[in-house]
Amino acid sequence: MWRLTIRNTLARRARLALTLLAVVLGVTFVTGSLILTDTSQRLLDDQFRTATAGVDLTVRDAAAFDSAMGVEVERDPLPATIVDRIRAVPGVATARPLVRGQGLLSVGGKAIVPSGASVLASWEPAPVGAFSLRAGHPPVTDDELVVDAETALRRHIDLGDTVTVRAEQTTSLRIVGLAGFGDGPGLPNSTVGLVNLPTAQRLLKLGGDVSEVAVVAADGVDTQQLRGRVSAVLGPGYEVSASRDIAASSAAAAKTQVDYLQMMLFALAAAALLVGAFLIANTFSIVITQRTRELAVLRAAGATGAQVLGSVLGEALLVGVTASVAGTGLGVATAAGLRNLAGAFGIALPDGGLVVAPRTAIVAFAIGVGVTIVSAIGPARRAAAVAPVEAMRSAAAPSGRIRTVTGWIVTALGVTALIAVLAGTGSLALVGAAALSGVVGLTLLGPALTPGLARIMGRPLDAAGVPGRLARESAARAPRRTAATALALAFGLALISFMTVLATSIKDSVQQTYTEVISADYVIESARNEMLGGLPNHVHHHVSELPEVAVASRLRYGHWKDGQATDALTAVDPVTLPRVTSLHMVAGNLNAISGGGIILAERVARERHLAIGDSLPMTFSRTGTQRLPVVGLLRDRDAQALSTNYVISLDTFSRHYKENVDASVFVKVADGVSDAAAKKAINAALADAPTAQLRDQAAAVAGRTLMIDQVLGLVTALLMLTILIALMGITNTLALSIIERTREIGLLRAVGMTSGQLRWMIRGEAVLVAGLAIALGVSLGIAFAAGTVAALGRTAELALVVPPGRLLLVVAVAALAGLLAGLLPARRAAKLDVLTAIATS
Amino acid sequence: MTISIAPTQPPQTRSAVAAQARDVVKIYGRGDTAVRALDGASLSIPAGRFTAVMGPSGSGKSTLMHALAGLDTVDAGQVLLGDTDLSRLGERQRTLLRRERIGFVFQSFNLVPTLSAVENIVLPLTLAGRQPDQAWIDELVATLGLADRLRHRPTELSGGQQQRVAVARALAPRPEIVFADEPTGNLDSRAGEALLGFLRHAAHELAQTIVMVTHDPNAAAYADRVVFLADGRVVDDLPEPTVPTILSRMASLDAPALRKKK
Ligand SMILES: Nc1ncnc2c1ncn2[C@@H]1O[C@H](COP(=O)(O)OP(=O)(O)OP(=O)(O)O)[C@@H](O)[C@H]1O
Ligand SMILES: [Mg+2]
Repeated sequence: MWRLTIRNTLARRARLALTLLAVVLGVTFVTGSLILTDTSQRLLDDQFRTATAGVDLTVRDAAAFDSAMGVEVERDPLPATIVDRIRAVPGVATARPLVRGQGLLSVGGKAIVPSGASVLASWEPAPVGAFSLRAGHPPVTDDELVVDAETALRRHIDLGDTVTVRAEQTTSLRIVGLAGFGDGPGLPNSTVGLVNLPTAQRLLKLGGDVSEVAVVAADGVDTQQLRGRVSAVLGPGYEVSASRDIAASSAAAAKTQVDYLQMMLFALAAAALLVGAFLIANTFSIVITQRTRELAVLRAAGATGAQVLGSVLGEALLVGVTASVAGTGLGVATAAGLRNLAGAFGIALPDGGLVVAPRTAIVAFAIGVGVTIVSAIGPARRAAAVAPVEAMRSAAAPSGRIRTVTGWIVTALGVTALIAVLAGTGSLALVGAAALSGVVGLTLLGPALTPGLARIMGRPLDAAGVPGRLARESAARAPRRTAATALALAFGLALISFMTVLATSIKDSVQQTYTEVISADYVIESARNEMLGGLPNHVHHHVSELPEVAVASRLRYGHWKDGQATDALTAVDPVTLPRVTSLHMVAGNLNAISGGGIILAERVARERHLAIGDSLPMTFSRTGTQRLPVVGLLRDRDAQALSTNYVISLDTFSRHYKENVDASVFVKVADGVSDAAAKKAINAALADAPTAQLRDQAAAVAGRTLMIDQVLGLVTALLMLTILIALMGITNTLALSIIERTREIGLLRAVGMTSGQLRWMIRGEAVLVAGLAIALGVSLGIAFAAGTVAALGRTAELALVVPPGRLLLVVAVAALAGLLAGLLPARRAAKLDVLTAIATS
Repeated sequence: MTISIAPTQPPQTRSAVAAQARDVVKIYGRGDTAVRALDGASLSIPAGRFTAVMGPSGSGKSTLMHALAGLDTVDAGQVLLGDTDLSRLGERQRTLLRRERIGFVFQSFNLVPTLSAVENIVLPLTLAGRQPDQAWIDELVATLGLADRLRHRPTELSGGQQQRVAVARALAPRPEIVFADEPTGNLDSRAGEALLGFLRHAAHELAQTIVMVTHDPNAAAYADRVVFLADGRVVDDLPEPTVPTILSRMASLDAPALRKKK
């Protein structure tokens, strides 16, 4: 039986080829995603481990938490005197002061803006320092600078060149050396500037303070014990940590972005595999329908139902294994491409040797083989049910009543859930549940609904005469096949429409709230879109002193912890903010925050049952848990425009935070000053801050929605793979249906259908299937986007916006693709020899 | 430019010969496995008559019919439909010629399963974008006794009904010639006789030229003339056949043919 299985599979390799390809693509996606994320995580681990490789303990200012939302908190500097106190602790071999911060490099007047950090640090030789010289000598005097070899190579920086470093202070320094990091030439997506300790302190305005102290234990001294001793000597207020732990926690913080990407990639891989599963199930059931007679003969010859079942599943196993092998190989090849794709959409990942974990291969195989076998189970059971007497009949089995009824029930549940969400009573989880039951329900209902739908949707095909009508009938006549093919494409299109509508709605609401609340003429923001804004402190100062500017008001962001959860707050200047915004206080007034209190978004106050006079416990990294009195409530729309639910004053901010960067500076132009003049003056004032960007309202909104666009772009690009698989499904199904209909086609040709008409018939069917998928997919996408918007709308200002232009583009592309999918089968059908077709029995 | 002649018009207005094969050779395969399916076959089909083609299995009957009907090309010789030399026509022209000037009835699988009976009947016309002559269709349907079956799908029709629909489809465009390859092969004798009766009726009363391939002497006896094929050649010609005369011809032909095969 096994030999027969192998022979069967090989004999049908042409029919199974596209199935194979679908599984291969799905497995490739999964493997590529796993390898990419593994590699990124390994590189980040390596990077942070290398950074502290020669150090046993690190002493820093104490903080309540290390990082929030992937950003490490800034700590207070340490007094230099602490170094000697640490050295005096028995068991300490070395204690070295380190200074670290941000310093933007510029060469020839042009700033180097990496997608990652612009590191500025004090030079420290190995083993404490992780950088090693590749050329030149270390920075000794106050005007010397060493940069990483990678940046030097990319920016054509040579020894002796002059490079400007912008930190808290700006200075021009001479390159005296090039450094590598561990084995590599630099840090991924970053620039590194290394100067001597006094220069670092001067540039970062630290006076005599240092950022941290690196401690190396003497030989034979236990690190944990030493840690205890150092801690005891220094007392509270200082944090003594094993460097390895710091490396791990820094890596974990840096990995959050990779985690998001991984989640997204897995979701998309799942979509691709779902679509692939439809294609597989379809192919197997068509092949089995075509083989009914052969199977009946086998059964008549004594094969048991179980043997037939085993034989079909064996074929699936062969396909699954082959596809998994190919998919794993391709996955390795595409991981790097995937990284570039993510990079093109603004998600920078470290570059380096690929990590192929055994787990990756196991997952790839489990998924490839699993999906294939599970998809083939239905058809295999139908094959096993073929009775020996069924030899001559191959009428399509009518779709089961139980299946249809179950389908209706499940779909109805989904629709009910969606309606509940739309009515404003459902959560996101309910939308997910509705989507799941929608997918399951429609999959069950597909065969029952398809004939009617195909006949209605196919009406326009009648204009093409008999070929059009036959195309329509052919689609309606094989409901199981048509449904599976159309659903596969529909799910892909549903995801794309969903993403498009959701993204448009969010962008639209961002724009609306922004333009409604922010009345500033301009806003200055960092072009890098850092998590906390990243605008140098002096920008606000320079701009507010311009005579062309009536008022400049700045905003800062900060992270705080509410138990385990991380949240964000916004710090504002209560005096100037009202002049650049039109805020609506629901209760209290803005000025009240000057006293150290907090204003809450109305919704948050309601959820937390807080009113004016209550207080909110908040944990800050630098000052620990503090209770802030609630002094006012802000309208939700306005809170959203300020990107916050919690508003404090800048004074309160500086008490709890060390971070010294602005998120935005809102600018109102002075009366009588022309836009052009104001712009010119402001831009001149920004000359010293290369990452600062002057934005008008439209550009400010665009900056806020950039990430949505990037995610949408990446997801759409990756979803194209799903669409591609679904289109292969159309091609495959039509090719198989042509084999099934050889005689009919021969007859049509004999009685005078021209090959042109025949081609149109096949293409018409392809377009009809695509049309069904488009109608279903786009409406599903819009419906679930509406559900999601409604669910999100309970906690944010959000209204559904359907972008007709973009959706029409999706429709047009899908229809065109459907037409393309029909080209090959149409050509194949037209090439059928009339006589052989007639003679085929 | 379709020929639309009233069914009652006498056959003489067409060229007296409806179709012709001249020294036709058809070879399948090549080298050692080459088969000369037709080996110099010559035949004239008179217009307005019912001609039967008989011969042992493998003698080339179907091949000859396919050649005459423009379904296949030949390797040598000439095939004429009226004045048209089929061997000079391309694929597309032959397709158009088939749907305008030729009708077919195969042994089985004559109908498109997704179309109703009446849609199948007018299929060649709709493919050509022509309006069917409703009176003519009605007459065909009435004569073939299909009036109450028109809306049915092929699977809902009996084998005999299906073949009658196929005949109606073949005659609907008023073709110059109708070919039928063992049209009664799958029918019981009563259904077969009804169909043969109609074919003769069509030839005699409607002046329809008909060529029918058959193995059955009883069926061939309905024709005006029987042509015998053996080894790819026309070897005999029997006008006004009856079952006994056909049987005796067959007996005399079969013996050498069988001998040769061994
Ligand atoms: N497509 C083909 N390829 C190769 N040989 C063929 C092909 N079609 C027919 N032949 C051969 O040509 C010869 C004539 O075949 P044809 O079908 O014309 O015979 P026939 O008289 O119609 O026989 P039957 O009464 O069995 O239908 C046979 O020897 C057959 O094997
Ligand atoms: Mg034959």
